[in-house]
Parts: sequence; C-alpha cells; structure tokens
Amino acid sequence: MTTAAGYGTDGAALRVVVVNGSPNQPSKTMGLVDVILDTLSGMLPVETSRIDVYRLGPGFTGAIERDDVTPEVEAALRLAETADLLLAATPVFRASYPGLFKHFFDLVDQYALANKLVLLAATGGGDHHALALEHALRPLFAFFQALTVPVAIFASGGDFDGTMLLNPRIHGRIQVGLTDVVDLLRARATGRRPAPVHLSEIRAS
Amino acid sequence: MAFEIGIMTFGELTEDIATGTLPSPRQRAREMIQQAQVADEVGLDIFGVGEHHRSDFVGSAPTVVLAAAAERTSRIRLTSSVTVLSSEDPVRVWEQFATIDLLSAGRAEMIAGRGSYTESFPLFGYDLRDYADLFREKLDLLLKIREQNPLTWQGRFRAPLVDADIAPRADGDTIPVWVGVGGSPASAISTGRLGLPMALALLMGPLTFHEPTVALYRDAAAKAGHDPDRLPISINVHGYVGRTSQQARDVMYPYFAKGMLDNNHQRGKGFLLSRAAFDAQTSPGAGLLVGSPQELIDKLLAYHELYGLNRALIQMGFGGLPQKEHLEAIERLGTEVAPVVRREVAARERRAA
Repeated sequence: MTTAAGYGTDGAALRVVVVNGSPNQPSKTMGLVDVILDTLSGMLPVETSRIDVYRLGPGFTGAIERDDVTPEVEAALRLAETADLLLAATPVFRASYPGLFKHFFDLVDQYALANKLVLLAATGGGDHHALALEHALRPLFAFFQALTVPVAIFASGGDFDGTMLLNPRIHGRIQVGLTDVVDLLRARATGRRPAPVHLSEIRAS
Repeated sequence: MAFEIGIMTFGELTEDIATGTLPSPRQRAREMIQQAQVADEVGLDIFGVGEHHRSDFVGSAPTVVLAAAAERTSRIRLTSSVTVLSSEDPVRVWEQFATIDLLSAGRAEMIAGRGSYTESFPLFGYDLRDYADLFREKLDLLLKIREQNPLTWQGRFRAPLVDADIAPRADGDTIPVWVGVGGSPASAISTGRLGLPMALALLMGPLTFHEPTVALYRDAAAKAGHDPDRLPISINVHGYVGRTSQQARDVMYPYFAKGMLDNNHQRGKGFLLSRAAFDAQTSPGAGLLVGSPQELIDKLLAYHELYGLNRALIQMGFGGLPQKEHLEAIERLGTEVAPVVRREVAARERRAA
C-alpha cells in the first residue's frame, strides 16, 4: 500500500516507511499509525510506504540470512533501510514486539539504520504494556545506533472504537512528539515529486 | 437535576456460603420481584436488572423481569442494567421496552452496553471481532427507532428496514437510553459525542477512578455541541447499607468475597479477596458503597461533588446475599439514605444556581 499526501510547494517530501508488526487487518496499530501520518502530513510534505511483516510471505519467513530472501523481500528491506523516517509500529505480544517484527530487523543490515530517524509506536491490551516501547523497542534501535524520536507513542485497546483512535490525549502526545523533531524531519526530507514507490509491486506474492 | 438512587440485581445464583446449597432459580426469580416491590415502597427511584447468560445468574432476560416488576410496583423507574445491545436486535429491544413502558405507565428505561462478559456473542451468532462495529451500529438503529416511525434504515448486521412500522411507541414522549461505560476512554468519548447519558460502572478502586472518564465524556459532548451540564451521569457500584459501619462490613464481606471468587480470575482461577483488602475498599476514599446509612450519605455526596453525579445504582446481592439482609438494606437505603442525599443535593444546586 502506498499513499502520498501533503506535497508542498517548497521543500522535499519526507519519505516515511512504516514497518507494521500487526498480523491483523484492520488493526489498532495501523489505526494509531493513521493518526501519526495525518498529523505528520499536516506539518510537512510526506510520502508514505508500508511494509506488513506478516504479509511478506515464505520468502521472508523462510529466510535465515539476508542472502536467502526473495527479490521482493529484498526490496522491502531496502525500502526500510533508505527511509527518511522509519515508523516502527507494532502491537505488544507476550511483553514485547512479535517475532516476525524482530525477524524483519534481524535481516536489516547492521549499519543501515545508523543515525536514521526512527519513530516508535505501539499498541497493547492495557496501559501496563506501555513501557515495552522503552524496554524492548528502543533498545533494538539503539543497537542499530538509530536516532529515535524522544517521544514514543502508545495506545491501549480502550483508546480505540474498533480501530479508530478516539482518546484526545494520545492525539495530543503525537502532536507534541512530532513537533519536537519537526525541524529535523524537514532537514532529512529527500523525497522528490512524484514517483512514490508502490509497495504492492515489491511485496511477495 | 434531582439525585436518584436505586438498586440493581443480576439474580445471582451463588451457593450459600454457610450451607453450600444453591438457591432455587424459582425462588431467586421471585425474590427479584420482591426486591423491586420493597424498593418501590420505600421510595427508591430505580430498579435495575442486569444481563448474564450463565447458569449462576437468573437474569438473562431483564425485560421479562422488569415486566413482572412493573405489575408489582407503582412509582419506581424500571431499567436494564445493562442490555447487551451488541448481541441484540434493536427492533426487538425497542418493542420489549416500549411494552414495559406501556405496562408501567411510562417507567421504562434502558442502559445499552457492550457487556462485561462475552457469552452472549456466540449464543446469538455474533463474532467478537465485530465488537466495536456491532455496538455502534445497533445503538444507531435503536436511537433511530426511538426517534421516528416508520423507519427506513440500512446496516451491516441485520436486514434493511424499509418504511418499517415499529410498535408500540413509548407511553410518553420517549424512553431514556443510557450508555454503560466501564471506563475505557473510547466508550466515554463516543457516548459524549452522541450526547447520551452515561452509566459508569465501578467494581473496586478509588472513588476518583472515573475522573478521567467523566472529563473525556464532558469534553467530547461539548465539542459535539451538547451541553455537558445537562447530561446525566450515573454510577453502578456494589454496596450494602447496614445498621452500623461494622455490621454492614461484616454482612457484606463473605458474600462479596464469594462473588469475587466466582467472577474474578487470576491465572484462570478465582482468588480470595482478603478481609483487609475488602476493608480498604470500604474506606472513604474508595468506591464501594458499604457502611452505615450516614457513611453512604457521605459517600454519595462525595460522588456527586466529584463527578456531578445524578444517579447511583447499587448492587447489593453480589455473591448470593440472603434475601432477608437484602431487603433490610433496601429499606435503609430508601428511608434513611435517599431522602437525605436528595435534600442535600437539591440544597447544593440551589446554592449553585
């Protein structure tokens, strides 16, 4: 899925790549991401692509090393590695991110995310899962020496009606978290109009 | 707004903690009607019947119980507490409540909820994955039925209605529909947006537990153009009115602990609520409405001040409280607690006006 929004008349678009750790369609995690992307596109021009790790197929799940992956999966990994902003979004399962989400990052090149802007977002069954962002997700990107955005975004099941995020406090936190880094986001934007990459072309069948 | 006080029951069928025997369902069903009758006689404002679909409760069909209660009462309002609307047909729900409204000369109300248990979903052929969509759609239909007749309507979960004549209509202008909210921010916000009265549920925890819920509700209502000061809020909470503070706690504890053991699980098994943990829940800063009449007055007034609460529905039979103690507590609630709370709230509101 590829969407493009908010092309401005000045400045390049920020190439955002969402790595989605949810197996569900539709999902609360993507409901949260929708609000983040909407808020982001209100601040600067944005090009969005999304990688659903649960939909990458056997070419992904069967790969033990990077050399094993199919060309489609290779393209998805490249897409993540070359994003201006990586949006790592996942549900919390069994106290952490799901195994397939980790498997994706096990295949990402060790240095490809160094100094890369990464925004962390997670959903969980209750507020007591919120620190999985700090205790599980942030250390993963610390390994990569990525530049994680200071404010990570968490939403609980009760904050959603279905997959629509209703809690205004989380809308507020998204605004705050993105405003903190908006200058940096502008400085990192490399997207060119038009030609957004269509993920449907590179996703494994 | 006048402050209203009532009781609610699920028709608990819990084995007696002393003898280990189960009350007969027939006896419990009759006892529910007797509770309504006494509540009416002592001047309480509302009688509520909840819905569980399990053999440890007789209350799976609240409308039938309410219809029976309508015949034995004259003033008390009759509400479900709650109707699990997500697994109901709103057309049938409306017909049943409108019938109760006619039988009771306009005393029917309902609290529409998602239910705190999920048994009704497979029973009536609904998929839990549609949890949010089911409630949204069915509430929408229910409100439209209330608003207009005949009705043309289309949705995902039932056949469309084309110029459908849905009868009977309410006895008076309308039937109040409240929405049950357990405390999730999203339910509070969507209820506020619709401008519907909110029925909060509190099991245990601090009196202040629902402060954020109420703030989100009022805020969402105001943003959607409703006047938040005109929207009633109620709380459904466990409690017991005793002769004295100590007697109330001593009577309520063993039954409440038994009810918790049967209904609240850790590691898939019930756990015993210790007396110390229970006593903590009865302190002035905690939500349970248990104690002497004066303690209940103080706590209800604290709830009123904190949330701008207009109504409290107290569940006193949890864990199989015997009927004798139950009726005594209903009487104290109606004669010693309710008149004082109503008077004090009215005085507060006069001062504020």
